[in-house]
Amino acid sequence: MTPSSSRLLEENPDRIAGRLLQKAHNRDGLPEIAIGLTFLLLAVLMWTQIAFRRGSLPFKAAIWAGALGIPALMLSSQWIIKKLRGHLLVEKEGYVKLKPANRNQTGIVVAIALVIAVAAIIAAYLGRNSFPPTAWVLAGTGIGGGVLAALAGRIPRFFIGGGIMAATGIALAFSRVSLGVGFMILYGLMGFLSLVSGCVVLLHFLRQPTEPAQ
Amino acid sequence: MSAKIQRLAGIDRVIHEPARLMIVALLAAVEEADFQYLRQTTGLTQGNLSAHLSKLEEAGYVAIEKTFRGKYPLTICRLTERGKQVLDNYRKIIKGAL
Repeated sequence: MTPSSSRLLEENPDRIAGRLLQKAHNRDGLPEIAIGLTFLLLAVLMWTQIAFRRGSLPFKAAIWAGALGIPALMLSSQWIIKKLRGHLLVEKEGYVKLKPANRNQTGIVVAIALVIAVAAIIAAYLGRNSFPPTAWVLAGTGIGGGVLAALAGRIPRFFIGGGIMAATGIALAFSRVSLGVGFMILYGLMGFLSLVSGCVVLLHFLRQPTEPAQ
Repeated sequence: MSAKIQRLAGIDRVIHEPARLMIVALLAAVEEADFQYLRQTTGLTQGNLSAHLSKLEEAGYVAIEKTFRGKYPLTICRLTERGKQVLDNYRKIIKGAL
Protein backbone atom coordinates (compact mmCIF):
# COMPACT_ATOMS: atom_id res chain seq x y z
CA MET A 1 0.00 0.00 0.00
CA THR A 2 1.37 3.41 -0.95
CA PRO A 3 1.63 6.18 1.68
CA SER A 4 -1.11 8.17 -0.08
CA SER A 5 -3.46 5.22 -0.17
CA SER A 6 -2.87 4.45 3.51
CA ARG A 7 -3.68 8.10 4.30
CA LEU A 8 -6.91 7.68 2.35
CA LEU A 9 -7.96 4.92 4.69
CA GLU A 10 -7.55 7.21 7.68
CA GLU A 11 -9.81 9.82 6.14
CA ASN A 12 -13.55 10.25 6.60
CA PRO A 13 -15.30 8.91 3.43
CA ASP A 14 -17.41 12.10 3.26
CA ARG A 15 -14.27 14.21 3.02
CA ILE A 16 -12.85 11.95 0.30
CA ALA A 17 -16.10 12.32 -1.68
CA GLY A 18 -16.23 16.09 -1.13
CA ARG A 19 -12.67 16.51 -2.39
CA LEU A 20 -13.24 14.33 -5.47
CA LEU A 21 -16.52 16.05 -6.37
CA GLN A 22 -14.95 19.49 -6.00
CA LYS A 23 -12.08 18.47 -8.27
CA ALA A 24 -14.53 17.03 -10.81
CA HIS A 25 -16.69 20.16 -10.73
CA ASN A 26 -13.77 22.43 -11.65
CA ARG A 27 -11.87 20.18 -14.07
CA ASP A 28 -13.39 21.60 -17.31
CA GLY A 29 -13.10 25.30 -16.40
CA LEU A 30 -16.78 26.04 -17.15
CA PRO A 31 -17.59 27.34 -13.62
CA GLU A 32 -14.64 29.77 -13.85
CA ILE A 33 -15.77 30.96 -17.29
CA ALA A 34 -19.26 31.63 -15.89
CA ILE A 35 -17.82 33.52 -12.90
CA GLY A 36 -15.46 35.46 -15.20
CA LEU A 37 -18.30 36.52 -17.51
CA THR A 38 -20.42 37.61 -14.53
CA PHE A 39 -17.58 39.69 -13.08
CA LEU A 40 -16.80 41.24 -16.49
CA LEU A 41 -20.46 42.15 -16.97
CA LEU A 42 -20.42 43.74 -13.50
CA ALA A 43 -17.31 45.74 -14.44
CA VAL A 44 -18.93 46.94 -17.70
CA LEU A 45 -22.06 47.99 -15.78
CA MET A 46 -19.90 49.88 -13.24
CA TRP A 47 -18.05 51.61 -16.10
CA THR A 48 -21.37 52.58 -17.76
CA GLN A 49 -22.54 54.18 -14.51
CA ILE A 50 -19.28 56.14 -14.28
CA ALA A 51 -19.02 57.13 -17.96
CA PHE A 52 -22.60 58.27 -18.54
CA ARG A 53 -24.43 60.96 -16.63
CA ARG A 54 -27.04 59.98 -14.07
CA GLY A 55 -30.50 59.71 -15.63
CA SER A 56 -29.24 59.01 -19.17
CA LEU A 57 -30.49 55.93 -21.06
CA PRO A 58 -27.20 53.93 -20.76
CA PHE A 59 -27.06 54.75 -17.03
CA LYS A 60 -30.64 53.53 -16.49
CA ALA A 61 -30.01 50.46 -18.64
CA ALA A 62 -26.93 49.63 -16.54
CA ILE A 63 -28.94 49.93 -13.32
CA TRP A 64 -31.67 47.61 -14.66
CA ALA A 65 -29.16 45.16 -16.10
CA GLY A 66 -27.37 45.07 -12.73
CA ALA A 67 -30.60 44.58 -10.80
CA LEU A 68 -32.12 41.92 -13.07
CA GLY A 69 -29.40 40.59 -15.38
CA ILE A 70 -26.72 39.72 -12.82
CA PRO A 71 -29.00 37.70 -10.45
CA ALA A 72 -30.55 35.95 -13.49
CA LEU A 73 -27.09 35.13 -14.85
CA MET A 74 -25.90 33.83 -11.47
CA LEU A 75 -29.01 31.68 -11.02
CA SER A 76 -29.02 30.30 -14.55
CA SER A 77 -25.26 29.68 -14.91
CA GLN A 78 -25.33 26.33 -13.03
CA TRP A 79 -28.22 25.16 -15.21
CA ILE A 80 -26.39 26.25 -18.39
CA ILE A 81 -23.18 24.48 -17.28
CA LYS A 82 -25.17 21.30 -16.54
CA LYS A 83 -26.80 21.40 -20.01
CA LEU A 84 -23.46 22.08 -21.75
CA ARG A 85 -21.83 19.18 -19.93
CA GLY A 86 -24.79 16.88 -20.61
CA HIS A 87 -24.92 17.63 -24.35
CA LEU A 88 -21.38 18.47 -25.44
CA LEU A 89 -18.98 17.05 -22.88
CA VAL A 90 -20.67 13.84 -21.72
CA GLU A 91 -18.24 11.64 -23.69
CA LYS A 92 -15.27 13.29 -22.00
CA GLU A 93 -16.66 13.98 -18.54
CA GLY A 94 -19.11 11.15 -18.14
CA TYR A 95 -22.55 11.39 -16.63
CA VAL A 96 -23.42 12.17 -13.04
CA LYS A 97 -26.66 12.96 -11.28
CA LEU A 98 -25.92 14.98 -8.18
CA LYS A 99 -27.95 14.97 -5.01
CA PRO A 100 -29.93 18.14 -4.20
CA ALA A 101 -27.78 20.92 -2.68
CA ASN A 102 -26.70 20.15 0.87
CA ARG A 103 -28.35 22.68 3.19
CA ASN A 104 -25.50 22.42 5.71
CA GLN A 105 -22.90 23.44 3.13
CA THR A 106 -25.04 26.33 1.86
CA GLY A 107 -25.52 27.43 5.47
CA ILE A 108 -21.76 27.36 6.11
CA VAL A 109 -21.07 29.57 3.04
CA VAL A 110 -23.81 32.04 4.07
CA ALA A 111 -22.47 32.07 7.66
CA ILE A 112 -18.90 32.78 6.43
CA ALA A 113 -20.18 35.59 4.16
CA LEU A 114 -22.09 37.09 7.11
CA VAL A 115 -19.07 36.87 9.44
CA ILE A 116 -16.90 38.61 6.81
CA ALA A 117 -19.54 41.34 6.28
CA VAL A 118 -19.92 41.94 10.03
CA ALA A 119 -16.12 41.99 10.49
CA ALA A 120 -15.84 44.54 7.63
CA ILE A 121 -18.51 46.77 9.21
CA ILE A 122 -16.82 46.61 12.63
CA ALA A 123 -13.40 47.30 11.09
CA ALA A 124 -14.86 50.23 9.09
CA TYR A 125 -16.40 51.65 12.25
CA LEU A 126 -13.26 51.26 14.36
CA GLY A 127 -11.01 52.63 11.63
CA ARG A 128 -13.30 55.39 10.37
CA ASN A 129 -10.78 58.06 11.30
CA SER A 130 -7.86 56.50 9.44
CA PHE A 131 -9.60 55.44 6.17
CA PRO A 132 -12.82 56.55 4.44
CA PRO A 133 -15.72 54.02 4.39
CA THR A 134 -15.24 53.38 0.65
CA ALA A 135 -11.72 52.06 1.34
CA TRP A 136 -13.08 49.63 3.93
CA VAL A 137 -15.81 48.46 1.53
CA LEU A 138 -13.24 47.80 -1.22
CA ALA A 139 -10.83 46.02 1.10
CA GLY A 140 -13.68 44.01 2.66
CA THR A 141 -15.05 42.99 -0.74
CA GLY A 142 -11.60 41.95 -1.96
CA ILE A 143 -10.73 39.97 1.17
CA GLY A 144 -14.21 38.47 1.55
CA GLY A 145 -14.44 37.53 -2.12
CA GLY A 146 -10.94 36.07 -2.02
CA VAL A 147 -11.69 33.93 1.05
CA LEU A 148 -14.96 32.68 -0.46
CA ALA A 149 -13.25 31.86 -3.78
CA ALA A 150 -10.53 29.87 -1.99
CA LEU A 151 -13.06 28.02 0.16
CA ALA A 152 -15.36 27.29 -2.76
CA GLY A 153 -12.62 26.04 -5.10
CA ARG A 154 -10.20 24.37 -2.66
CA ILE A 155 -7.62 23.85 -5.45
CA PRO A 156 -4.38 25.81 -6.01
CA ARG A 157 -5.61 28.10 -8.82
CA PHE A 158 -8.59 29.17 -6.67
CA PHE A 159 -6.26 29.92 -3.73
CA ILE A 160 -4.09 32.05 -6.06
CA GLY A 161 -7.18 33.80 -7.49
CA GLY A 162 -8.51 34.44 -3.97
CA GLY A 163 -5.13 35.86 -2.93
CA ILE A 164 -5.04 38.18 -5.97
CA MET A 165 -8.59 39.38 -5.23
CA ALA A 166 -7.76 40.11 -1.58
CA ALA A 167 -4.51 41.90 -2.53
CA THR A 168 -6.31 43.96 -5.21
CA GLY A 169 -9.03 44.97 -2.74
CA ILE A 170 -6.42 46.11 -0.20
CA ALA A 171 -4.39 47.97 -2.86
CA LEU A 172 -7.53 49.76 -4.09
CA ALA A 173 -8.40 50.69 -0.51
CA PHE A 174 -4.99 52.36 -0.08
CA SER A 175 -5.23 54.08 -3.49
CA ARG A 176 -8.29 56.04 -2.30
CA VAL A 177 -10.16 55.64 -5.61
CA SER A 178 -13.94 56.16 -5.66
CA LEU A 179 -16.17 53.19 -4.90
CA GLY A 180 -17.38 52.92 -8.51
CA VAL A 181 -13.89 52.96 -10.01
CA GLY A 182 -12.63 50.57 -7.32
CA PHE A 183 -15.36 48.02 -8.00
CA MET A 184 -14.88 48.39 -11.76
CA ILE A 185 -11.14 47.59 -11.42
CA LEU A 186 -11.70 44.77 -8.90
CA TYR A 187 -14.48 43.04 -10.89
CA GLY A 188 -12.78 43.70 -14.23
CA LEU A 189 -9.45 42.21 -13.13
CA MET A 190 -11.01 39.20 -11.42
CA GLY A 191 -13.39 38.62 -14.34
CA PHE A 192 -10.55 38.73 -16.85
CA LEU A 193 -8.31 36.40 -14.79
CA SER A 194 -11.15 33.98 -14.13
CA LEU A 195 -12.17 33.92 -17.80
CA VAL A 196 -8.58 33.33 -19.00
CA SER A 197 -7.98 30.64 -16.37
CA GLY A 198 -11.29 28.92 -17.24
CA CYS A 199 -10.57 28.99 -20.99
CA VAL A 200 -7.05 27.57 -20.50
CA VAL A 201 -8.43 24.75 -18.32
CA LEU A 202 -11.23 24.04 -20.83
CA LEU A 203 -8.81 23.91 -23.78
CA HIS A 204 -6.47 21.60 -21.84
CA PHE A 205 -9.45 19.42 -20.91
CA LEU A 206 -10.72 19.25 -24.50
CA ARG A 207 -7.26 18.28 -25.78
CA GLN A 208 -7.11 15.24 -23.52
CA PRO A 209 -7.83 12.07 -25.51
CA THR A 210 -11.28 10.56 -25.00
CA GLU A 211 -11.15 6.91 -24.03
CA PRO A 212 -13.92 4.69 -25.42
CA ALA A 213 -16.96 4.34 -23.18
CA GLN A 214 -17.51 1.05 -21.33
CA MET B 1 -6.77 -2.84 23.65
CA SER B 2 -9.96 -0.73 23.66
CA ALA B 3 -13.24 -2.06 22.26
CA LYS B 4 -13.21 0.61 19.56
CA ILE B 5 -9.84 -0.55 18.28
CA GLN B 6 -10.95 -4.21 18.49
CA ARG B 7 -13.88 -3.37 16.21
CA LEU B 8 -11.34 -2.60 13.47
CA ALA B 9 -10.78 -6.36 13.16
CA GLY B 10 -14.34 -6.73 11.92
CA ILE B 11 -14.05 -4.03 9.29
CA ASP B 12 -15.50 -4.77 5.85
CA ARG B 13 -12.56 -5.87 3.68
CA VAL B 14 -14.35 -5.09 0.41
CA ILE B 15 -14.68 -1.41 1.30
CA HIS B 16 -11.41 -1.17 3.21
CA GLU B 17 -9.32 -0.87 0.06
CA PRO B 18 -8.33 2.64 -1.08
CA ALA B 19 -9.68 2.46 -4.64
CA ARG B 20 -12.96 0.82 -3.64
CA LEU B 21 -13.36 3.23 -0.72
CA MET B 22 -12.99 6.13 -3.17
CA ILE B 23 -15.63 4.64 -5.48
CA VAL B 24 -18.08 3.92 -2.68
CA ALA B 25 -17.55 7.31 -1.01
CA LEU B 26 -18.11 9.05 -4.34
CA LEU B 27 -21.25 7.06 -5.16
CA ALA B 28 -22.60 7.79 -1.67
CA ALA B 29 -22.29 11.53 -2.38
CA VAL B 30 -24.21 11.44 -5.69
CA GLU B 31 -27.47 9.89 -6.89
CA GLU B 32 -25.76 7.98 -9.71
CA ALA B 33 -22.68 8.24 -11.93
CA ASP B 34 -21.46 6.51 -15.05
CA PHE B 35 -18.23 4.61 -15.59
CA GLN B 36 -16.52 7.48 -17.43
CA TYR B 37 -17.31 9.98 -14.64
CA LEU B 38 -15.97 7.57 -12.00
CA ARG B 39 -12.82 6.97 -14.05
CA GLN B 40 -12.19 10.69 -14.58
CA THR B 41 -12.87 11.58 -10.96
CA THR B 42 -10.99 8.77 -9.23
CA GLY B 43 -8.07 8.70 -11.69
CA LEU B 44 -8.23 4.89 -11.91
CA THR B 45 -7.48 3.09 -15.16
CA GLN B 46 -10.30 1.46 -17.12
CA GLY B 47 -9.22 -2.06 -16.14
CA ASN B 48 -8.72 -1.20 -12.49
CA LEU B 49 -12.05 0.54 -12.16
CA SER B 50 -13.82 -2.29 -13.97
CA ALA B 51 -12.30 -4.88 -11.62
CA HIS B 52 -13.17 -2.89 -8.48
CA LEU B 53 -16.74 -2.25 -9.67
CA SER B 54 -17.18 -5.98 -10.34
CA LYS B 55 -16.09 -6.78 -6.77
CA LEU B 56 -18.47 -4.17 -5.37
CA GLU B 57 -21.31 -5.49 -7.53
CA GLU B 58 -20.58 -9.07 -6.44
CA ALA B 59 -20.75 -7.98 -2.82
CA GLY B 60 -24.12 -6.30 -3.53
CA TYR B 61 -22.86 -2.81 -2.64
CA VAL B 62 -23.16 -1.30 -6.13
CA ALA B 63 -25.86 -1.75 -8.78
CA ILE B 64 -24.75 -1.42 -12.39
CA GLU B 65 -27.09 -0.67 -15.28
CA LYS B 66 -26.15 -0.38 -18.97
CA THR B 67 -28.13 2.18 -20.94
CA PHE B 68 -27.80 4.87 -23.64
CA ARG B 69 -27.97 8.64 -23.66
CA GLY B 70 -28.60 9.38 -27.32
CA LYS B 71 -25.84 7.44 -29.10
CA TYR B 72 -23.55 7.49 -26.08
CA PRO B 73 -23.47 4.23 -24.08
CA LEU B 74 -23.66 4.69 -20.33
CA THR B 75 -22.72 2.25 -17.59
CA ILE B 76 -24.56 3.77 -14.67
CA CYS B 77 -23.49 2.87 -11.14
CA ARG B 78 -25.49 3.42 -7.97
CA LEU B 79 -24.84 2.56 -4.34
CA THR B 80 -27.39 -0.01 -3.11
CA GLU B 81 -29.11 0.17 0.29
CA ARG B 82 -26.73 -2.58 1.46
CA GLY B 83 -23.80 -0.50 0.21
CA LYS B 84 -25.05 2.56 2.12
CA GLN B 85 -25.41 0.52 5.31
CA VAL B 86 -21.93 -0.96 4.99
CA LEU B 87 -20.41 2.48 4.34
CA ASP B 88 -22.25 3.93 7.35
CA ASN B 89 -20.92 1.12 9.52
CA TYR B 90 -17.39 1.59 8.11
CA ARG B 91 -17.60 5.34 8.82
CA LYS B 92 -18.56 4.66 12.47
CA ILE B 93 -15.76 2.13 13.02
CA ILE B 94 -13.09 4.40 11.49
CA LYS B 95 -14.38 7.44 13.41
CA GLY B 96 -14.32 5.47 16.66
CA ALA B 97 -10.81 4.15 16.10
CA LEU B 98 -9.17 7.47 15.09
